[in-house]
Amino acid sequence: MARSMNGDDLALRDLCEVADDIAARRITSVQATEACLARIADWQPRTNAFLRLHAKKALARAHAMDGELATGSRRSPLHGVPMAHKDMYYRIGENSTGGSAIRRDWVASTTATVLRKLDAAGVVELGFLSMAEFAAGPTGHNIHHGHCRNPWDGQRITGGSSSGSGASVAARMVYGALGSDTGGSIRLPASACGVVGMKATYGRVSRAGALARSWTLDHVGPLTRTVRDNARLLTAIAGHDPNDSTTSEKPVLDYEASVEDGVRGLKVGFSLPDALVPVDPQVATAVQTAADTLESLGAAIVPVKLPDFTALYRAAEVIVKCEAAAMHRPWMEADAPYANQVRTRMDAGFFIPATQYIDALRLRAHFVSDFLAAAMTDVDAVMLPTIPFPVPTIEETDVEASGGPATLSMVARFTGLTRPFNTLGLPVLSIPCGFDASGVPIGLQLVGRPFDEALLYRIGHAYQRATDHHRKVPV
Amino acid sequence: MDDKLLLARAIAQRLQGFRYDDARLAEIMTEVDVLNDAVREAAAARLTFDDEPAAFRSVLEWRDR
Repeated sequence: MARSMNGDDLALRDLCEVADDIAARRITSVQATEACLARIADWQPRTNAFLRLHAKKALARAHAMDGELATGSRRSPLHGVPMAHKDMYYRIGENSTGGSAIRRDWVASTTATVLRKLDAAGVVELGFLSMAEFAAGPTGHNIHHGHCRNPWDGQRITGGSSSGSGASVAARMVYGALGSDTGGSIRLPASACGVVGMKATYGRVSRAGALARSWTLDHVGPLTRTVRDNARLLTAIAGHDPNDSTTSEKPVLDYEASVEDGVRGLKVGFSLPDALVPVDPQVATAVQTAADTLESLGAAIVPVKLPDFTALYRAAEVIVKCEAAAMHRPWMEADAPYANQVRTRMDAGFFIPATQYIDALRLRAHFVSDFLAAAMTDVDAVMLPTIPFPVPTIEETDVEASGGPATLSMVARFTGLTRPFNTLGLPVLSIPCGFDASGVPIGLQLVGRPFDEALLYRIGHAYQRATDHHRKVPV
Repeated sequence: MDDKLLLARAIAQRLQGFRYDDARLAEIMTEVDVLNDAVREAAAARLTFDDEPAAFRSVLEWRDR
């Protein structure tokens, strides 16, 4: 186990602490990398979070980053920090499976913009992480590469599709990880694994070189142990990209710079949207307690009534099914080896009229305007649960093995409070806010106005300064 | 065989080049009906001639703080 001069396990520190200690040369990037590798050796058999580990390459890179620091050159506030990413970010000349059997040996011919940014920032890449097949599942099941397991309870799901990102950050195998979110795929594993996940505004982070699930609903974003860590990582990856025409040209803020500004004077809308999706009492209590905490810190908590999510949810389904069917058609025609539940979720895309798909796209402007008017006119952010019930077991949610109506219904409800925000494209931060009776994490979402990620980080950081849910580590 | 199943079979085979058994076609059409109805109702209530998909990104760009 790599230990610092103080004798603590470096892997248990936060991203910002480790980055700042590397910068001050109190520890080396090699030491931090070795600490992560030791942690991975311990936790990989229990979680299956990694699909590919590049230990030698990571250590060589860490040596190089230490060498640069020795000459007085620090690339960025992430210099020398070990991370790993969902196995859907392309790196030229390297395999990228997308969690599939179809691309088990496929080699990328380009490098994702976000990886290029992290390379330039001096990040050490430990490898690539488990995910749902083609990012098409909210639970973390994967019949091709093995299910990913929740570090808090190996019988429970991690959430998906960024399953390995949630599990690896929670188990302190890495200091941060990239995930992606088409219907909740950053926020669900963040919530289920007790870490922080940011789905930034649509267009804030480039999707170029990232395997697509649905071009118009996909969001790239970071999962980390703390809100401050997340703010630092988003600052590094956000921004306009000529290779992704949907990215915004709005300037990127230093999101970390304002995290200490506190919540006094802010108005936070609060909703336990039972009318939309039934919220379990354990989840409701945890989110209510979090609202009370924010109130005690000086925020005004204002009850808000969220609009009906049904049309938002259905529009998202229309969009994702049509886009996925179009991009997967050649493999589906060739009867390529998909999991049954992945293939069947795309079938409807071949039968939905193009006019309905176009109308779903046309509706988005109305949906987001209506939501902002109805829920956010008088508040700075809206707070609601991420997953409306305690994290279920792998067996309970295995639609491939037992896709009965009850299982399918539970899996659908899993995304009931996350998918609508992909239709809206608004920024949403998921943070841990407690544990259920089984000791598995509960998370809440903070929803902001377009490009208001900095405010969500302020609220989330103030909450984490006052609580210790994010400090608890699975054993 | 009802009209909807015949239509689904025609779409699958003649327009899309896929073959499904009738039981699966019935499941798919049930799913499609739910999605189509939701979008059609929302569209009838909100969309006008001048609405275009790109307006979504304009709203995000200009409705920030």
